[in-house]
Amino acid sequence: MKPLASHHAFSILLAAVLAVALLLVISIATPFGLSAYVANTVGQLAAFAVLALSLDLIWGYLGILSLGHGLFFGIGGYVVAMHLLKHSWQVTGKVPDFMQFMGWSEFPFYWAGFGFFPYALLVAVAVTLLISGVFGYVSFRSRVGGVYFAIITQALVYVAMLLMFRNDTGFGGNNGMTGFAVVFGWPIELKSVVIAMSAVSVLVLGMILLGCRLLLESRFGILMIATRDDEVRLRTLGYETLRLKLVVWCLSALIAALAGMLYVPQVGIINPRLLSPELSLEIAVWVAIGGRGHLIGAVIGAVLVNAVKFWLSAAAPELWPFILSGLIVLVVLVFPNGLVDLAKLKLVRPMGAKRLSSETTELH
Amino acid sequence: MRRLLVAVVFVVAACAPTLLSAAEATDRAELIGKLCGDTASLGDAGRALTGIAADGSPDDRAWAAQLARAVIDRKLTCDAKGAAVVLSEGSLDALSRTPRTVSEAGRTPLLSLKNRALFETADAALALRTAPDVARRAAALRTLERQASSLPEHLLEAAVGQESDPALKAQMMAVAQAAALNSPDPAKRIAALGRIAATPDRRALTQVRALLADPAYAANPEFKHAVDAATLTISRGIAVGDALATLYSGLSFASILFMAAIGLAVIFGLMGVINLAQGELIMIGAYITWLVQEVIRQFAPSLLDWYLILAIPVAFVTTAAIGIGLEAVLLRHLYRRPLMSLLATWAVSLFLTNLVRVTFGTQNLNFVTPFYVTGGVPVIGDFIFTWNRMFAIVFAILTLGITWGLMRLTPLGLNIRAVTQNRIMAGCLGIPVRRVDMMAFGLGSGLAGLAGLALAPIYSVNPQMGQNFIIDSFMVVVLGGVGTIVGTVVAALGIGQVNVLIEPLWGAVAAKVIVLLMIIAFLQWRPEGLFAIKGRRK
Amino acid sequence: MGVALLVDTVTVEFGSFRAVDALSLAVDFGEVRAVIGPNGAGKTTLLDVVSGITRPKQGRVIFDNATDITRASEAAIALAGVRRKFQKPSIFEGLSVHQHIVIGTQGGLRRSLAQGALVERVDEVLDVVGLADLAHRSASELAHGQKQWLEIGMVLASNPRLLMLDEPVAGLTEEETERTVALVRRLKRSDRAIVVVEHDMDFVDRIADRVTVLHEGRTLFEGSMANARADERVVDVYLGR
Repeated sequence: MKPLASHHAFSILLAAVLAVALLLVISIATPFGLSAYVANTVGQLAAFAVLALSLDLIWGYLGILSLGHGLFFGIGGYVVAMHLLKHSWQVTGKVPDFMQFMGWSEFPFYWAGFGFFPYALLVAVAVTLLISGVFGYVSFRSRVGGVYFAIITQALVYVAMLLMFRNDTGFGGNNGMTGFAVVFGWPIELKSVVIAMSAVSVLVLGMILLGCRLLLESRFGILMIATRDDEVRLRTLGYETLRLKLVVWCLSALIAALAGMLYVPQVGIINPRLLSPELSLEIAVWVAIGGRGHLIGAVIGAVLVNAVKFWLSAAAPELWPFILSGLIVLVVLVFPNGLVDLAKLKLVRPMGAKRLSSETTELH
Repeated sequence: MRRLLVAVVFVVAACAPTLLSAAEATDRAELIGKLCGDTASLGDAGRALTGIAADGSPDDRAWAAQLARAVIDRKLTCDAKGAAVVLSEGSLDALSRTPRTVSEAGRTPLLSLKNRALFETADAALALRTAPDVARRAAALRTLERQASSLPEHLLEAAVGQESDPALKAQMMAVAQAAALNSPDPAKRIAALGRIAATPDRRALTQVRALLADPAYAANPEFKHAVDAATLTISRGIAVGDALATLYSGLSFASILFMAAIGLAVIFGLMGVINLAQGELIMIGAYITWLVQEVIRQFAPSLLDWYLILAIPVAFVTTAAIGIGLEAVLLRHLYRRPLMSLLATWAVSLFLTNLVRVTFGTQNLNFVTPFYVTGGVPVIGDFIFTWNRMFAIVFAILTLGITWGLMRLTPLGLNIRAVTQNRIMAGCLGIPVRRVDMMAFGLGSGLAGLAGLALAPIYSVNPQMGQNFIIDSFMVVVLGGVGTIVGTVVAALGIGQVNVLIEPLWGAVAAKVIVLLMIIAFLQWRPEGLFAIKGRRK
Repeated sequence: MGVALLVDTVTVEFGSFRAVDALSLAVDFGEVRAVIGPNGAGKTTLLDVVSGITRPKQGRVIFDNATDITRASEAAIALAGVRRKFQKPSIFEGLSVHQHIVIGTQGGLRRSLAQGALVERVDEVLDVVGLADLAHRSASELAHGQKQWLEIGMVLASNPRLLMLDEPVAGLTEEETERTVALVRRLKRSDRAIVVVEHDMDFVDRIADRVTVLHEGRTLFEGSMANARADERVVDVYLGR
């Protein structure tokens, strides 16, 4: 498996992303271009693509499957929601719904300072690093890997969801938090603000794509791939893989948190369902459908699957779970390397022999 | 001389009833007089009525029976001739119970709050002794319970003696004991304490604790000793009961966990496949149980209670078939790709959940609770040995036995173990590896179906229920070590007990968090789980 | 130069199975030692212990009188100068041949060689293993024999002071085996110890200074190959069967 599908395909994707960003900028300034609704959808899709990239980084290039990345997505989302609510309160004086529901007139003490965005950002980074750092260290040190690790991350995000469902934690409980009025001083409902947020999402996607690509082409990226392909071999060559895995794991968590910070202002609400085990599993599905280990696969998978989901949730919401399950089975059986296989026309006959090389990476 | 004696005896005997009835009549007339008197005499009357209930003759009781109620309901009218009870068809003289008219100048006695309480007690006391139906007597007992300490001693004892219904009799005895606790005779009190301590529960503790404020506690050393001893016995009984209850609850939870996880463990050990659809197979097992119930209800309603037993083969075979189908169509292509099989089985789980949801709706299913899983046996303290949990435990033990027997004693079991330990070698030895995969998957899925059946009497059944078990089942497999029965049992017991221990202290969420953290900590020390088969790097 | 590898009463157990049973062994610098024996004798497990992959239940392993292998991590052991070529060709399917040698040369997260020296060394190693013209091919495209060579190259690149080769000629053609003999002879240095596990007796004959015969986790015989061939017990257990 080559680290990147091809420089060609990557450049095309990057160009497309930048083109979309440009289109969005035009839409802000002029009456031409995309409507607020379309722009908002594009922005959400971009946030999901960033999330998918975070998973591809550790799954596609390090071979570590996490089924709990929704946790970090949620951390970013909750922190930004807290900031927006605090900020809105500072500007408009209106107390958030969830506090009125609980009968509180004052914010809990740990909300202090969230009106100030750099502080909120710092908190998001610190909490993400703490949780991913401790969990990663503990897991990698005890050599828990493969399926075990995946399951434990599911349990982790499940427990986080249960915690967030409680109404007395001061994070909105099972209704979550909504009613964001102001972002960086501008009213959030304004068309130009909506499109601007979308443009920011798309630009961040472009930056992350570029950043990941640079990382993977560096010495670090090569070591990542070596770790994925044969970790013991790499260790017996003198490389402390624990440190390597931990760094990439934490980086992946930070990117996921960033995706959360992009997503929540655009969708206008956060609730504990973001922390459901199903969503975390879906992230892996996006990457698997697009093709893992190619960066572009993650982006394409995320955009495609979520676009279909958006469309269906309006047109035929009952159908979505069935279509999703069918899609997963199809990809897993017929396109084991995702849609990237389709591009290279490498279909696999389900009964036929498979190239062992693409399988061996899964054995741990 | 003898004739004179007989005549005198005759006369006295003839006069006696009149004399006695005169005495009675005096009592009764006096009582009526009091009923028509002032507040103080009304109070006396109320107490007297209760006294009649306790000590009076059956005649007296019958006569007094309606009086208290009449006063409370303001159906008693007092006039110059005495008192009369006003009924719908006319008035009866209160004393003689013969019909008469009531003068308009008559007044209706008014009960003060204190007197009202007295009369309610009297009414209940009389009902207890005279009412013909059990329900009325039971209601009367409930009213009297609250006043147990102020009742005349003999009342409850006499009522117990005459009571025919065994359940009510037992209840009466309990109330009598509570009354005896406040008897003026210290010996009776101490005896009552002993009796109460014999059935230790929280109610008894409250009763005994109340005596600490009693003056006799400070004054009478024998009494103090008895109270302290009773408190100790009861507290101990409660503690034992609570411990047993926790153990029992944990055991039943562990049973469900075990049944849910054993299929997962076998499959994972054998094929490296984590079956995320396992929860849904449990759910389908429960739904099939319900279907069997409905079919029986329709076609053979007399057998309805046996649906749980009759559903056993149906649930097992159906879920096993689904499992085999899954393996043959989907998973056999993925056996060397555990991460992909994770996603594929999740897709199946999604599909099954929504299929069931669309077909049956999202509401909880209603299950008939058969007699053999209803109720329970009180053991000690507040601990009741409930049958529905027992059903799950017995079922799990049977499942364990059958699985173990299969694995250790049958050729299929031997093949499964061989393929688990060294797939390639087993294949070279001529073991039909694919078929073993299929059979093992069928077994694992069938076991999940049985888990669904066993938990139908305990948990709510709806399309989403599978998700509640899947995470816990995983934790059992991860902790217990892959593919081992012993590991699954030990891990299920451990997780089940820890969960049940923590839940009442800090809530269900905290229990899950702590269990997860404990497992992560444990894996630091033994990453392969409790009982996994160790091997060399190949 | 002294003792390179000291194995002192090492016992390794997997559950109830004793793979290595109170084994003691010493290999000097400048020596080529062959470890032979029937399957299941504990040869690969011994190598696992020395590379730090398996921890022994009892016993000590010291490298160069300085590094306590039984207490160190695999990476630390490798940084001390121990390298092992695995039985099954262990390479990185997603990387190119050139990248493999670079990884092998640098031997650690910290860069140890300057850019110029690095390039030189990589070219040198690629020449030695004969993969210079395949330098930018993906390792997944190599044939089995070439994969073996790639791994050897990767392992040699950092000039290891203890080199362990686990069945280096398994599955190789005659010609490739010849090349391997030549390579091992060239690698022999006074500041390097080489341990080879093999089944090919001809190959062992041609490269080994001394031979240790293992059987059921214990040393059966130690000495020259000629004496080994003559030893009754060795013949009985391994060579003669």
